[in-house]
Amino acid sequence: MTASPSPSSDAARLVTPAMLVLWVVLATVPLWIARVGLYPYLGIEILIWSLYALAFNLVLGTAGLPSFGHGAYFGIGAYAFGLCQFNLAANLWACLAASLVIAALAGALVALFISHRRGIYYAFMTIAFGQIFWTVAIKSHSITGGEDGLLKIVRLPAGFGVISFDLTDNVALYYFVLIVFALALMGMWRLVHSPYGRVVAAIRQSETRASHLGYHVWLYKASIFTLSAAVSGLAGGLFAMAQLAAFPDVMSLHQSGYVVMMTLVGGGLVSFWGPVVGVFLFLIARDVIGALTNAWMLYFGLLFMAIVLFRPEGIAGAAAAAFQKKSLGSIRRQGSSAMRLLFGGERWR
Amino acid sequence: MFDLLPHILNGLTLGLLFALIALGFMLIVGLMEQINLAHGSLFALGAYLAMQLTGPRPPFPAEIAKAWLALPLGWRYAATLIIAPAAVGVVGIAIEFCMRRTYGKDPLYGLLLTFGAAMVIEEAIRLIWGTRDYVLQVPQAVSGGFLFQDLIWSTYRFYAAGISAVIIGLVWLLIEKTPFGATVKAGAHDSEIVRALGINLTRLRLLVFVLGTMLAAVAGIIVAPIWGIRPHMGVDAVIPAFLVIVLGGVGSFWGAVVAGLLVGLCVGLSGAYASEWSLLSMYLLLVAVVSVRARGLWGKKSVLEA
Repeated sequence: MTASPSPSSDAARLVTPAMLVLWVVLATVPLWIARVGLYPYLGIEILIWSLYALAFNLVLGTAGLPSFGHGAYFGIGAYAFGLCQFNLAANLWACLAASLVIAALAGALVALFISHRRGIYYAFMTIAFGQIFWTVAIKSHSITGGEDGLLKIVRLPAGFGVISFDLTDNVALYYFVLIVFALALMGMWRLVHSPYGRVVAAIRQSETRASHLGYHVWLYKASIFTLSAAVSGLAGGLFAMAQLAAFPDVMSLHQSGYVVMMTLVGGGLVSFWGPVVGVFLFLIARDVIGALTNAWMLYFGLLFMAIVLFRPEGIAGAAAAAFQKKSLGSIRRQGSSAMRLLFGGERWR
Repeated sequence: MFDLLPHILNGLTLGLLFALIALGFMLIVGLMEQINLAHGSLFALGAYLAMQLTGPRPPFPAEIAKAWLALPLGWRYAATLIIAPAAVGVVGIAIEFCMRRTYGKDPLYGLLLTFGAAMVIEEAIRLIWGTRDYVLQVPQAVSGGFLFQDLIWSTYRFYAAGISAVIIGLVWLLIEKTPFGATVKAGAHDSEIVRALGINLTRLRLLVFVLGTMLAAVAGIIVAPIWGIRPHMGVDAVIPAFLVIVLGGVGSFWGAVVAGLLVGLCVGLSGAYASEWSLLSMYLLLVAVVSVRARGLWGKKSVLEA
C-alpha cells in the first residue's frame, strides 16, 4: 500500500501472501485461458503491460510525478532488444540487459532536465521528451525501420549454462515472462517499502517538507524516474520478443495515455496492486468489447469517464474499502489527496 | 538573407495558426485552471462538421438541404463558420456538465475526464466518417495563389493567418475590455467573493468552457484546408496547443500568442533546412526554454504546479 498511512505488516516481507496467490493463479492461466475463449498470447500481454504499469506507478503513484510520456521508455526498451539482437549479441540475457540499460540511460537523460520541475510543467516536459523520442523513432528509418517498425525479432532461447529453454511457443514465453514479472514485482515491492521508497513517498506528500528534512529531493526524483524508465524498458524488451517486432506506436502519446489510464482505473494512487488490476481490466475489455464492436474505444472511453466521475479512487481503492471495512469515503479522500498532491492545492473551495 | 523571407513569412502565418489553435485551450486553462484534453478532438469535430456542411450532402432535412445547396459556396462557408462551432459548443456543454463534478477536486480529474471524452469523440468521428481523408472546400476568393517576388504564395494561408489575428484580437477584447471578461477573471481569482456578490459562477464557467470549445472548432475549420481532415488531426492539434501554453506560461495571454509565433517560426525555419525533422524543433524549443525558465516565458504562479 503505497499511500497507506499505517504500514501493513506485509511491508517488510520479500514475498507477501497476496503475491503468492497472484503467482499461483497466474501460473495456472495457460491451463484454462483457451477454454474461456481467450488465448495464451493475451496472458503474455497482460503480464508485460502489468510490469510496465507497475514501473510507471513508481513515478505516478509512489513519487506523485505526472509523467505522460512513459511510452518512450517502453518503446526504447523494445528497440534496444531488437537492435542488440541484430548488431551486438543474439543472447537473451544480453538483449534484455540492453533494454533495461538503454531505457535507464534515456530516463536518466530526461530526468536531468525535468527533475526540478513540478505539476503541469513536469507533465508537459515528459510529453515533450516522449514526442521527441517518438519522432526520432519514426524518422530514423535506417535504424528503427520508421513507421514499419523493426521486424524479424526472434524469441531467443533462455540459456542457463548447460540447459536452455526454447521460448518460441506462447506458453513457454508466458512462463518466462511470468518469472521475470515475479522477480520484478518482488523488487518493486521492496523498493516501495524500503527507506528509499519512504523518502520518495514523503516527497510526494510535500517536496518542501522533504527538502527541509535534509533529503536531496532532486536526486530522489531523478533516480525514481530513471528506475521506472529502466523497468519500463525491460517490459518493452519482453514486448518486442512477444510481438516479434518493435513498433513506434507504443511510444505515441495515445499509448502513453493508456498506461496512465490503466494505472488510474485500477487505483494505482491508493494501492500497489492498482496498476495490475487496471491492466487486466483494460486488456480484457479490449478483447471482449472489441469482439462485439469495432468501436471499443468509444465504450471504454465512456467507462473511463464514468470511473473518473464516480469511482475516482479506482477499482483497487473500492476493493480495499470493501475488504478493510473502511468507508469508501476515507479511501476516496486518500486518493483525492494523492491526486491533489500531483497537481497542487485546493481551489474552488 | 533574402531567401529566408518566404520561410519567415511561412513560419509567422503558421505561428498565428498555432496561436489560434491554442486560444480556446488557453481560455480554459487560464480562466478555469482546467486542462481540456478534448480540445484536439473538438478541433477535429469542428473540421468534420464544416466539411459535411459545405459538402454535397449537408445534414439537413431534404427541403432545407436543397435551399442550402442553392446558396453560393461563400455564403455557405460563412454560415458554417457559425453553425459548426455552435454544434461543437453543444458537445462542450455536455462535457462541462460532467466536468462540473470535478471542480472541487484536483485538476488531474478534469484532465483525465477530458482524456476520456477525447477518446469517445475521436472514436465517434471514426464511426461516422471512417478513417479516410477529406478536403474542406473554401470559397474561390480565398483559395488559389498569387505571385509575389517571383514566388507563388497560397492565398489561403494569408487569409487563415489574418482571420486568426482577428479572432485573437476579439478574444483579447472580450477578456480585457468587457464586464463579462472582468467577471470571469474575478471568478478565477477569488470564486468565493464573486459568488457572494450574487454572480452565478456555475453559468459563468459553463460559458467560458463553451467559448473555449467553440474556439477549438473555429480553429479546426480554419486549419483544415491546410492540414487536411483525418481522424488523427485532433492529436496533431492538441499537442502544439499544450506546448504553446506551457512555452508561453500558464495564465499569460500574450505569452501564448508570442509562444505560438515562436513555435511557428521555429517549425517554419527548421522546415527549410530539415523538413523531416521540423516537428522535432518545437519540442526542442520547449525543452530549451523550460529548462531555463521554470514557468515558460511569462507564466504566473498557478495551482497547476504543486
